[in-house]
Amino acid sequence: MLSVISYPLFVVSVIVALVLSISLFPVDWLAFRPEWLGLVVFYWTFRAPAQFGVLLAWCLGLMLDSLEGTALGVNAAAMAVVAFLVLAMHQRLRMYPLPQQCLVVFLILGTNQMLVHFLKQMVGADSPGFVYLWPAATSAIAWPAVTAVLDRLNRKLG
Amino acid sequence: MIPWEGLTIKTIFVQGPVPGFRLILVMLISAALIAADTRFEHLTAPVRSTLATGLVPVHWLGYAPYRFTDWVGELLVTRGDLEEENEELKTRLLILERRSLKYAALAAENNELRRLLNSSEAVDDRVVISEVVGVSPDPFSHEIIINRGANDGLEAGQAVLDSQGLMGQITQTSQFTSRVLLVSDSSHAVPVEVVRNGLRYVLLGNGERDHLDLMHVPDTADIREGDMLVSSGLGGRFPRGYPVARVSDIVKEPGEPFVRIKATPKARLNQSRLVLVVFPPENETGSQTEAEPVAAPVGEGD
Repeated sequence: MLSVISYPLFVVSVIVALVLSISLFPVDWLAFRPEWLGLVVFYWTFRAPAQFGVLLAWCLGLMLDSLEGTALGVNAAAMAVVAFLVLAMHQRLRMYPLPQQCLVVFLILGTNQMLVHFLKQMVGADSPGFVYLWPAATSAIAWPAVTAVLDRLNRKLG
Repeated sequence: MIPWEGLTIKTIFVQGPVPGFRLILVMLISAALIAADTRFEHLTAPVRSTLATGLVPVHWLGYAPYRFTDWVGELLVTRGDLEEENEELKTRLLILERRSLKYAALAAENNELRRLLNSSEAVDDRVVISEVVGVSPDPFSHEIIINRGANDGLEAGQAVLDSQGLMGQITQTSQFTSRVLLVSDSSHAVPVEVVRNGLRYVLLGNGERDHLDLMHVPDTADIREGDMLVSSGLGGRFPRGYPVARVSDIVKEPGEPFVRIKATPKARLNQSRLVLVVFPPENETGSQTEAEPVAAPVGEGD
């Protein structure tokens, strides 16, 4: 829990995450793109659980739905679950060393991806295999960098 | 009592049972939204359009790096290259002009014949040029985003072409952008006919960019490799006569009721930057409503 957080930084990080989730990634490796918005939601609910929570995560997920063209509510519900899981375990999470935090990121964002996949299949998409879990793995790898950069900026600006 | 102590305790424990309640609430809203969005699209269309319009800056930002590299590329072109390109374009223009002269005469003749036959369908279609400003971030769906929207009069269901052939159709519009479902998406189908002999089939996308599947072709059908498939206009969604794909591979398996036929899309689905959006002919709206257009995106591939 940071003593101070910067709201402008929150807005900027959300916009950057949304832009990154539609652009600036090699087309051939799209299946490995980290779930940037999921990471941002994870970071902010982890760092400031009193200010950010389920409802905000849901709204951000709705934006991702609009960008990805999925049925409205699919990513929204999955993001809300991320925020909920982080809220449920943020006190323990704080005690974990960084590698263990990465594992939790993988598990929680993996849950998110699974839920998205499940809902999409229900709505009628067609994508076999476990390829959809790659974003969770790459997000876990990206987590140390994301948290370091955002922490630093938070301390400077907050 | 120390004032900040209570505060700290409060910030740690403020989220008791509340997140769980909120999660349930949000899940219920999501379920309702998903159901509404998949079954009653007209209910959520305004929400979708508003959201997409609000997110136009994000699309713009996402596209900015590509625009920037284009701009730098244009700055670094030499005079010689430009002259060469100019020369090339002039030659091309000449060829196309000659062709269009011939076409104008043919179109006039065709319209005349149609008039004699009392058919209302005109040959020419009105189009608007648009630029591709994004691709769908979901690797499993084949969609692109173009920079024209409801403000330019675009609507869901219009056909989109590039210079080579049919690309897909518009599925959603916001004020300034539209989302185009490509023919290669696994939920897309186009009614086509073989140019050589007029056989009619349905061409399905299968989630791969380099080939489409021609469905339900019997063993004995007269179809060969290299046959051109054009949109047949059945179903009322796509205008008639635009090239869609060329048959590339035919596999006959004894014991199977149908031949497996692959066709390569004519349009350059993942390369084209400029696309044409076709407006349906206006004088035909009467007969369109009678025909009750079959929804071209179908649910499942098989």
